[in-house]
Amino acid sequence: MDRRHFLRHAGLSGLGLGLAGLCPGQVHAQLQTRTQAPTHRGQEVTSAPLTQDAQLAYPFHGRHQQGIVTPRQATGMVVAFDVLARDRDDLEKLLKILTARITFLTRGGEYPQRDPRYPPPDSGILGPSVPPDGLTVTLALGDSLFDERYGLADARPRHLQRMTGFPNDALDAARCHGDLALQFCANTADTHYHALRDIIKHTPGLLMVRWKQEGTVPLLPPAPGDVEGSARNFLGFRDGSANPSIEDEALMDALVWIGEAHDEPAWARGGSYMAVRIIRNFVERWDRTPLHEQESIFGRRKMSGAPLSGSREQDIPDYASDPEGRITPLDAHIRLANPRTPETENNRILRRPFNYSNGVERNGQLDMGLLFICFQADLDAGFISVQKRLNGEPLEEYIKPVGGGYFFVLPGAIDDRDFLGRRLLEATA
Amino acid sequence: MKPHQHLIAAATLGLLPLAAQAAVSPDALVGPIAEYKLYVLDNLEQFVDHTEKFTAAVEAGDLHNAQALYAPTRVYYERIEPIAELFADLDASIDAREDDYEQGVKDPDFTGFHRIEYGLFHEHSTEDLNAYAERLMSDVNELDHRVQDLTFPPETVVGGAAALMEEVAATKVSGEEDRYSRTDLWDFQANIDGAREIFTLFKPLAAQEDADFVKRVDDNFDDVETTLATYRVDADDPDAGFESYDEVNKNDRRALAGPVTVLAEDLSTLRGLLGLN
Ligand code: HEM
Repeated sequence: MDRRHFLRHAGLSGLGLGLAGLCPGQVHAQLQTRTQAPTHRGQEVTSAPLTQDAQLAYPFHGRHQQGIVTPRQATGMVVAFDVLARDRDDLEKLLKILTARITFLTRGGEYPQRDPRYPPPDSGILGPSVPPDGLTVTLALGDSLFDERYGLADARPRHLQRMTGFPNDALDAARCHGDLALQFCANTADTHYHALRDIIKHTPGLLMVRWKQEGTVPLLPPAPGDVEGSARNFLGFRDGSANPSIEDEALMDALVWIGEAHDEPAWARGGSYMAVRIIRNFVERWDRTPLHEQESIFGRRKMSGAPLSGSREQDIPDYASDPEGRITPLDAHIRLANPRTPETENNRILRRPFNYSNGVERNGQLDMGLLFICFQADLDAGFISVQKRLNGEPLEEYIKPVGGGYFFVLPGAIDDRDFLGRRLLEATA
Repeated sequence: MKPHQHLIAAATLGLLPLAAQAAVSPDALVGPIAEYKLYVLDNLEQFVDHTEKFTAAVEAGDLHNAQALYAPTRVYYERIEPIAELFADLDASIDAREDDYEQGVKDPDFTGFHRIEYGLFHEHSTEDLNAYAERLMSDVNELDHRVQDLTFPPETVVGGAAALMEEVAATKVSGEEDRYSRTDLWDFQANIDGAREIFTLFKPLAAQEDADFVKRVDDNFDDVETTLATYRVDADDPDAGFESYDEVNKNDRRALAGPVTVLAEDLSTLRGLLGLN
């Protein structure tokens, strides 16, 4: 189901799916919450999140997985794993378990009771009845899963590769790559911790956590009379303003989803590439940088998010009449990232990042940054080309990529009989 | 949950809702617990014995011999940790790691095996280790003394198998235990020995409740031991011990982590299965 369709029918479809596993009393309570939930008004993927509705349930089944063109929730987390499965049968078991767990967790419901002399069936951190809480869990595979272990090599998506360092990177091996990645997004962080612990408990001997990074985006309803805008990142700028519109399905089919036109194995249709980058921000230094310089570095106004050539966030930057970069510097982040020329049209990516704050560095500076996540139908034309153009940009003085990886998001599971990865296994049987 | 999801979950976790257990009668536990106490006392006797030789080598300034005796001595402690850990004061002074102290190696409270390990394998010297050796010997004698009179609680004994697997999962798979000597595999095997001993003693009772469970646990123990065996210095001589943890390749670390987590999950249900609280 596409997002627009979902939103239009949110009251109905969300309810129908939320029913599973709830007793009648709870269904009633859910119905009330549901109808009171705020309506989404043409939200884009990186618009500031507006809802904390615990009963919000995104439908798991569909051609595509959730968590990509889903309006970004207030919290996100990427967890990369090593797959321990011994053979293909074990791998299939793993994919089925993950599908079953994600189905349950994104619908919400109750766990079966267990004899108290046993460990309880879940962590309990969300109480006896687990709310869906807007949870989406997106399953993606790393390039290393296509090595000799499971006989998948012949079906490897054409652009899937191991992430290599860019000139400004200082990659930390402990926070890079992985056989498999899960992107968790939800209204509240506790919901994805609960989901992660559930998944770990159900996959002993099959998965081992390699690294994880969580992040948030501020949940700030627009002030009365204020316009809705993209949420801000930790450098204080609105992030996501120029994202391709998720309302434009044809554009999503061209830029984000693998289709027939994309010269990929047939099993991969409906999937997408996910590039994840953990990018540290030197926030103290940034906060000591003049506002004017900050705005030139990005090519946008800090408060409004408007391009330097415009006055509102949604204005299209004008580079054609500014060939020398007098208004928008030629090396401004947005100008390099998207020069808005016909040749660079197919380099556009769908960004869906979260802000992270991890602690303190040894030098007493804050370890804060951007959990950069973007989706594209062609990893080389998308993230890799854009990052190559950004190499050497003035922003680099304030940022340091330290981790991440490239992953292939599996096509969705169509219904209850399907499971994530089924078509990949069949294609290599 | 849809019914087929139950099945998947049940297959991995035994999550099916369980009515009160058919409950093993408490009398049935008496025999295995008595046998386990004998196992512990036997290992303790060896432990005291080996610690005497080890500390004597340290005090004699015989670096080479002290290094050689370090791992084989610890084995006896690692096997009986579920019981040894009941005495938190002694466990701290015998087996704490430098991470347990704010000032690390320099911390005046840091004593025991790992403090001596630091001297022998990091400083490559027996200098200034006499006080630690003396203290270790008296702590080990004290442990021996206390265990003799101890009544073994069934929950602790049965739960000990899971506790040992938690030890393995937390510090052995990552090679954090013996960071200077790199003799982690000795401890790894000893924890597995200790867990398997408990499991084997209660296996007939567990098999009455869930034969699949028993088979799965045995298979996973076998898997771990098979992988560990490839790192034995001499396949025909168990006393020759293991290669350095640094030799364990990435694939084998994964091959160990898999069954270890399944064992940790499975053995965490052993108490419930035997109807113990
Ligand atoms: C910490 C690192 C980064 C920060 C703080 C950052 C911040 C921003 C900001 C504030 C904007 C302007 C608003 C918007 O259109 O979203 C922007 C735009 C953009 N950024 Fe980044 N960004 C970062 C890293 C990256 C990376 C690694 C890439 C891809 C390789 C990237 C690609 C883009 C693209 C494609 C645009 C839109 C340009 C346009 O279409 O006009 N950014 N970024």
